[in-house]
Amino acid sequence: MGSRQITEKSLSILRSLPRISVGNIRDNPGSKVTQKRGRGQHGGDKHGAGNKGSGQRQNYMRLGYETGNNPFYLRMPQEPYYRGHHHRREYPPLSLLQLQSLIDTDRIDVSLPVDLASIIKSGLYNFYPEQKQFGINLTDEGADIFAAKINIEVQWASEQVIAAVERNGGVITTAYYDPHSLFLLKNPKHFFKTGAAIPRRMIPPPDVIEYYTSAETRGYLADPEKISQERLKLSQKYGYELPQVENDSFYEMLCERKDPRQIFYGLEPGWVVNLKDKCILKPTDKELLRFYSS
Amino acid sequence: MTSVLINAFKRLNLSIRPQVKVISSSYSTAVTTANSLNVTQKEWKYPPLYTKPREVWIENLDTVEEKKLGLFELHPSVYAAMPRIDIIHRNFVWQTKYRWVSWAHTKTRAEVRGGGRKPWPQKGLGRARHGSIRSPLWRGGGVAHGPRSGKTHFFMLPFHLRIHGLTSMLSAKLAQDDLHVVNNLELPTDESNYLADLIENRNWGPSVLIIDDTDIAPRNITVATDSLPHVNIMPVYGLNVYSMLKHDTLVLTLAAAERIEERILHHLNAITTEQQREFKLSQV
Repeated sequence: MGSRQITEKSLSILRSLPRISVGNIRDNPGSKVTQKRGRGQHGGDKHGAGNKGSGQRQNYMRLGYETGNNPFYLRMPQEPYYRGHHHRREYPPLSLLQLQSLIDTDRIDVSLPVDLASIIKSGLYNFYPEQKQFGINLTDEGADIFAAKINIEVQWASEQVIAAVERNGGVITTAYYDPHSLFLLKNPKHFFKTGAAIPRRMIPPPDVIEYYTSAETRGYLADPEKISQERLKLSQKYGYELPQVENDSFYEMLCERKDPRQIFYGLEPGWVVNLKDKCILKPTDKELLRFYSS
Repeated sequence: MTSVLINAFKRLNLSIRPQVKVISSSYSTAVTTANSLNVTQKEWKYPPLYTKPREVWIENLDTVEEKKLGLFELHPSVYAAMPRIDIIHRNFVWQTKYRWVSWAHTKTRAEVRGGGRKPWPQKGLGRARHGSIRSPLWRGGGVAHGPRSGKTHFFMLPFHLRIHGLTSMLSAKLAQDDLHVVNNLELPTDESNYLADLIENRNWGPSVLIIDDTDIAPRNITVATDSLPHVNIMPVYGLNVYSMLKHDTLVLTLAAAERIEERILHHLNAITTEQQREFKLSQV
């Protein structure tokens, strides 16, 4: 029995019941349980708290304290594998399964290119650029059942993920965003309200230049020719037939990519979005045009 | 995409039996003619997916006898939702508690006058040891753990429980025939007898809550309801579970019904995580 019948039934029962008023409403039985410790319960014993001390008084020692010993956590002077962890880039994961459920529940529109902004907009991906998070790591969980044809741009993707997206006729790009652009992507409205011009996206730092220029990882700075070769190679490696993007009805959408300097789809660096007058102001000054075109 | 399809189906379904319903584009034209009734067909931003819209009569207030001016569609997610009595109750408790400041007050042993001197020596008298005549053990002493004044019972019910409280209450009112939709609030006279007669004649409960879309109600109805303490007028933004519980009958104007529907549908379909974040209590 579906929920509709339950609702209809309840409403029809209500018709024959007295009018709902202050006097005849109540909370669900058992919804509020007040925990009471009866003094005579279990023969008046200690109720699991033991006799005297921290157990009864909840004045526990601080975590790691060993009553005067050199604590374990201080005995080892350092753990070198954590060196510099606070400088490392973090890519919080999003699985293909989660992505598929976002698409199935209409939280992402796949008739448009999908990027970090649209995934954040879905409300189900927590993203904090201030915590050194640099974007989405699309993981391969649920790769077998991933069935959407999308043009997606993520910041990190493995080979299996690329294969899973391309098998369905989709397109995947890995792209780098500098922290400032990530703040903009997270809350575009907040930025547009400041009235500042959209900045240029910065180029990736040296240690990831290779990742974002390589065609195997579908880097946004890679040669498109090489990417199409790699697409074919990957399809042969994983044994699926590569769908022809050229013959697709969504060809235009699937071919849409951001400029390496561009942050938002449809908006170029240097433009000012005026939310109050609902218009876009574009620079005309030659100096500005030259600056933003590079 | 789905909404477009559903709207198409809806139109298709209605065009098959035009002898029952005449589709009009806006409700302002909904008037009775000799033999056909105009039905307001609505295009919702979030059309109902699996349930049919509820239909209510549009009534009038300008005569004592009820006239049916047309049919009006109400969205089932708002006016035919699951009537959760427990959510209604929690809203009721919230509304009574958030504004309740308890002024009950007792004095502690420190605040009761006197008691600074030790009543008798500690030892040697064969009596119980005492340090103050205002100890909680003494008659006329201070109260231990008594109520202290200015205690607020404020808390905030989660946003969606508040929304579902409204839908539950509206649905219960509609299901129990206690919700009426009127075209406007224009009365022919400002006498309260007229309104009392009207309520009596239509078998509306003695207490009536009238909801309008605007802050300023027409003069006649404000004067007429002035001397009737159990008939109250409220703008849409004041609509709440407590008042609906307290009044037997709920009367909405067309504009108010639509506005309530629009606001609640908006919140039912919006992602409110960011909006609610700053109001979230007990977060680390």
